[in-house]
Amino acid sequence: MITLKEALTLSSDELEAFKNELRKKIEENSEINAYIDVKSVGEGVPIAIKDNIQVKDWAVTSASKILQGYIAPYNATVIEKLKSAGLTPFGRTNMDEFAMGSTTQSSCYGKTLNPCNKDCVPGGSSGGSAAAVAAGLAIAALGSDTGGSIRQPAAFCGIVGMKPTYGRVSRYGLGAYASSLDQIGPMTQNVEDAAILYDIISGYDTKDSTSADIKTESVADKLNASRKLNIAVLPKYVQNASDDIKKAYAKAIEALKSAGHNIIEKDLMDPKYDISAYYITATAEATTNLARYDGIRYGHRVEGSNLQETYIKSRSEGFGDEVKRRIMLGNFVLSSGYYDAYYVKAQKVRHLIKDEYEAVFKEVDLILSPIAPSVAPKFGELKKPMDMYLSDIYSISVNLAGLPAISLPVDKNAEGMPVGLQLIAKAFDEQTLFDGALSLEKEFCTILPI
Amino acid sequence: MQVDNTLLSKLEKLSYLKVSEDKRDEIITQLDEMIAFVNNLSQLDTDGISDNFSMTDKSTTLRQDVPKCNPQISDDILAHAPNTDEHFFIVPKIIE
Repeated sequence: MITLKEALTLSSDELEAFKNELRKKIEENSEINAYIDVKSVGEGVPIAIKDNIQVKDWAVTSASKILQGYIAPYNATVIEKLKSAGLTPFGRTNMDEFAMGSTTQSSCYGKTLNPCNKDCVPGGSSGGSAAAVAAGLAIAALGSDTGGSIRQPAAFCGIVGMKPTYGRVSRYGLGAYASSLDQIGPMTQNVEDAAILYDIISGYDTKDSTSADIKTESVADKLNASRKLNIAVLPKYVQNASDDIKKAYAKAIEALKSAGHNIIEKDLMDPKYDISAYYITATAEATTNLARYDGIRYGHRVEGSNLQETYIKSRSEGFGDEVKRRIMLGNFVLSSGYYDAYYVKAQKVRHLIKDEYEAVFKEVDLILSPIAPSVAPKFGELKKPMDMYLSDIYSISVNLAGLPAISLPVDKNAEGMPVGLQLIAKAFDEQTLFDGALSLEKEFCTILPI
Repeated sequence: MQVDNTLLSKLEKLSYLKVSEDKRDEIITQLDEMIAFVNNLSQLDTDGISDNFSMTDKSTTLRQDVPKCNPQISDDILAHAPNTDEHFFIVPKIIE
């Protein structure tokens, strides 16, 4: 597959020919179920779009039955930005329903397979975007990351996935899951492409009140893999990860050392607290955000004998089990008698997590961390919801603190499954994040061909 | 066990959801397991920490109160809504 950088140099005739070929290839590989459908809107470099980002006149459904029949009446800001830069939305990709999941199994369109091993999950929730790029069915894709939903599927499928600083990319037109955690980001074949796509979609937007009103400098034209950085590693923190991850982590440390970076040992709070703070915050916000789906104004309606029954029937039939669980957990933590002990406590813990990162970033430029505790599990391996929540252990603190992070492939295990790790930077320091990631990528291109 | 049938019924009411009879026991167990897990936050000392958390240091952005309207958006939404008439959403009868 040509890279995004290469595709941006093609003429419009070459791009049209390329898109026809791509359509054919997507049809031939429909078994992977990376795409829900393929629709092109206008000229430009085709980019796969997660099914929760509004593209005018497309059915955009967050992979949920409750949004069947909804047609997006406007473009998300990121889509407007793609079009202005000579790119075009090309197909919507599968995801966990309302981005609630780590496996892309909860989609109403069926599961997506991992192109590296079809018995394994592609990760989630942006599993369709990751699988499309990994299978050579997309030059690049957009995903969204609330608790690791770009970075974890990128790691499971062996591609690059980047979550920008909270506020860096407009959320206008992104189907909201947890508004204080959600960010749209690039999923690409390599670090440079991720930087190019990040530059295109980032920047202040008056349509998003949480958008950061600061100047966004371009990063792709200033990428510098030769910068020598102070990088924190977390020996104690990685102890709960599988041997595959620990081995990759050790290799990455050696690679960073050989590239001339300064490695400093640090520690972070036990990540079991991150999981709790995350699931309380995310479900509370989801409960509020998903209250709008009542069958009245858009999507799926089941008529009842009165208005209340219509709400209940539409929601009970329209939402899947995982979404229902999270709505009810959210209502539990927000309800009278439990609010202080759960929701307020979780907000206080977010301060602890953010402060802890800020203290580490006083001494280092980047942190090297696992993104998931193992490689992609097989379908059915995560049996209980709690097993899936625990698999988010390394990805969610980044969202709770609003930091930028990038996941990139650094190794393969004995079965050939990709192992990705993430680099984390301080808020709004995407340049250093991409510089460090490019340096790590270059080391592995020369030391460990993947 | 913190979650029982009474609490589940309360959560269904708050959520405008109905859990079917054959799934009640399973969801009670799952919610109970999650809540038992997140109780670990009580191990952390958070005395004196603000209970407000904001992703930005800045206050809410203010802007000029200039009306903006794109009627095409509301027309499109109405055109695809489950049940509409003229410029209204039709809902079941509210007043008996």
